[in-house]
Amino acid sequence: MRYAPAILVGRSVRTLARLRKPGGGSAVPGLVVNRIAPGYLAHALNSFAGGLVIVSGSSGKSTTTKMLVAALRAHGRSVFTNPSTANISQGLTSALLEEADLSGRIARDIAVLEMDEGHGALIAPQLSPRVVALTNVMVDQIDRFHDPEMVAGMLARIAHRATGTVVVNADDAHLVELAEALHDRVQFLRFGVTTEVLDRSRHGLGHARQSEERLPAADGVLVTAVDGRLATLSVDGFEHTINLPARGVHYATDAAAALATAKAVLGEAFDAGVACAAIGAIPPVFGRGEVVSIDGQNVEFVLVQNPASFQLNIDTVDTDAPKLFAIGSDVRDPSYFWPVDTSALGSVDIVSGSKAAELALQLAYDDVRIGRVEDDLARAIDDFLAAPPPSRGMKTIIFSADSMRRTRAHLGLTADTEVVS
Amino acid sequence: MTVSITVAVIAPSLLNTNGDAENAQVLARRARWGGAEAVVVPVEHPDDLPPDPDAIVIGSGSDADLEAARDLLLAIHDELRVAATRGVPILAVGTGLELLSWGIEHDDNTVTEGLGLVAGRAVANTARVSDDIVVASPRFGRLVGFENHARAYVGAEGSPLGRVAYGVGNGRDSSQEGVVMGEVIGTHLHGPLLAKNPAMADHLLASMFTRLGAGYVAGERAVEADKHAARARAAILERLGQTAD
Repeated sequence: MRYAPAILVGRSVRTLARLRKPGGGSAVPGLVVNRIAPGYLAHALNSFAGGLVIVSGSSGKSTTTKMLVAALRAHGRSVFTNPSTANISQGLTSALLEEADLSGRIARDIAVLEMDEGHGALIAPQLSPRVVALTNVMVDQIDRFHDPEMVAGMLARIAHRATGTVVVNADDAHLVELAEALHDRVQFLRFGVTTEVLDRSRHGLGHARQSEERLPAADGVLVTAVDGRLATLSVDGFEHTINLPARGVHYATDAAAALATAKAVLGEAFDAGVACAAIGAIPPVFGRGEVVSIDGQNVEFVLVQNPASFQLNIDTVDTDAPKLFAIGSDVRDPSYFWPVDTSALGSVDIVSGSKAAELALQLAYDDVRIGRVEDDLARAIDDFLAAPPPSRGMKTIIFSADSMRRTRAHLGLTADTEVVS
Repeated sequence: MTVSITVAVIAPSLLNTNGDAENAQVLARRARWGGAEAVVVPVEHPDDLPPDPDAIVIGSGSDADLEAARDLLLAIHDELRVAATRGVPILAVGTGLELLSWGIEHDDNTVTEGLGLVAGRAVANTARVSDDIVVASPRFGRLVGFENHARAYVGAEGSPLGRVAYGVGNGRDSSQEGVVMGEVIGTHLHGPLLAKNPAMADHLLASMFTRLGAGYVAGERAVEADKHAARARAAILERLGQTAD
């Protein structure tokens, strides 16, 4: 009962936070408990009977985690999982406190955690995950982490903690090398795509360094065909058809990662048919906001009004999605937005609105890559919509209220349907 | 040898209403872009204060948190004084400046004692000021920012940060803004003033690097960010009818 006092304090803080702001204050109990009982987070995460599973990588970890959790639950396993947040330690501790008894334990079989590679590498030394699944090392995000080698190093630190199995993408040369270095210590499961699938994907797979050879079908979980939102995967030599939450070979690869990881976790109990059905049933993935169809292409609108909604809404924006970000004259002085961490956006294709330069300045200091700054919002919108459709994710327009009104007026959208945020 | 920079930011949970505490991140980023290692250490408790910080940032908060912020500052009073004497840059914004002064005189005639680290005191003003501000500073060139404060500041006439070209600044018809003592800078320019005024940021960084026996050169990415700063400044100056940079 070492952590009982800290847990009681955490519960009181949560109650106080909710009295002050109903439904809010979610990270505060975690902040407090991490301060007074710094060992609690690792203790709780290491105490699941069925073990801890960590999913990390540059891209696709959020979808892979959702798919894996669905597959495990379909096998009757009770799973603890984390909402993806910017500050993983505080958010995780707060989420654990929601379910912990006084000894700090959670009455669930397995914990499945999605970890940002940076945060993951920081807390990994204290964790003993049974399974670590690594999706990829992508060039997309190098502006956050300087270079792919740095990302690979962070993922290696996480993989190094695995006690049972490491699941890696066989098409990613960084991950294959990482796996080979750990060869005598843990088991390996691999997933990947066939030569045919690779040849048909116009923009490639996006790995910082692609493996020279494709995975043979007998050696793991393989994506053998992708057609819109339908994919065919080979598991243990048997073909399965699966419904993807969105179009694209990336989502099929996420499904392959989830299947391989579920197999590593469940062992003999793994049933590929059950897992595929569960993955196919998860709802389409969109960020927070409204999806609008403009001339046949879907575009997501995300509204930012104050620092809290700003942070919450951009944290759910798909890093891989093309983005237009506009702040208008409704924001007199954008200083108060600076406490918002915008780094999760990764990149913004066009920065616009009457406060474009000030927004670009904040994004630059958060290491967000900026395509261009276009003061004229109408022109920015036209150029953004005219760009080719993305290989992954949906074009996303993030705006303040004023820029939202101007965008809707420019596109001839009715003003009475307000953005749900 | 790589230069290693530690920026302490005091009570960001209380003193970051306008994003002023983010100036610590601005210094750390620019230091990294200039090839150094840099960390920002939030100081919410006296024990959090790193032993020999290379810069200290104190942001602005609401009056409800004045006492709590002052008590934390009092607990690290000696360390702040030693840092100031050693030439460690200390940037104090709004309430942060007021708390480093002799004290704050409230409307109800009560006084919040300050640390007395810089000359001057905060006194009642006729109305809250909330508008753009442009300051001509002999040391940092033209400063562009936003001010948002309820009180005036008197007693800094001997060493102000600069002369007000647009806005109010210290008020009471002084036409002056802020206070400077060595590398201690107090100002009403809130928010990310170091990002919008990179000349000031680089002055502080040069002084930090020099203390560590190294030279500072702005990195490529700082030069890129400064282009956004130049455009933001140009838009504000044009709106205010001021001459361009």
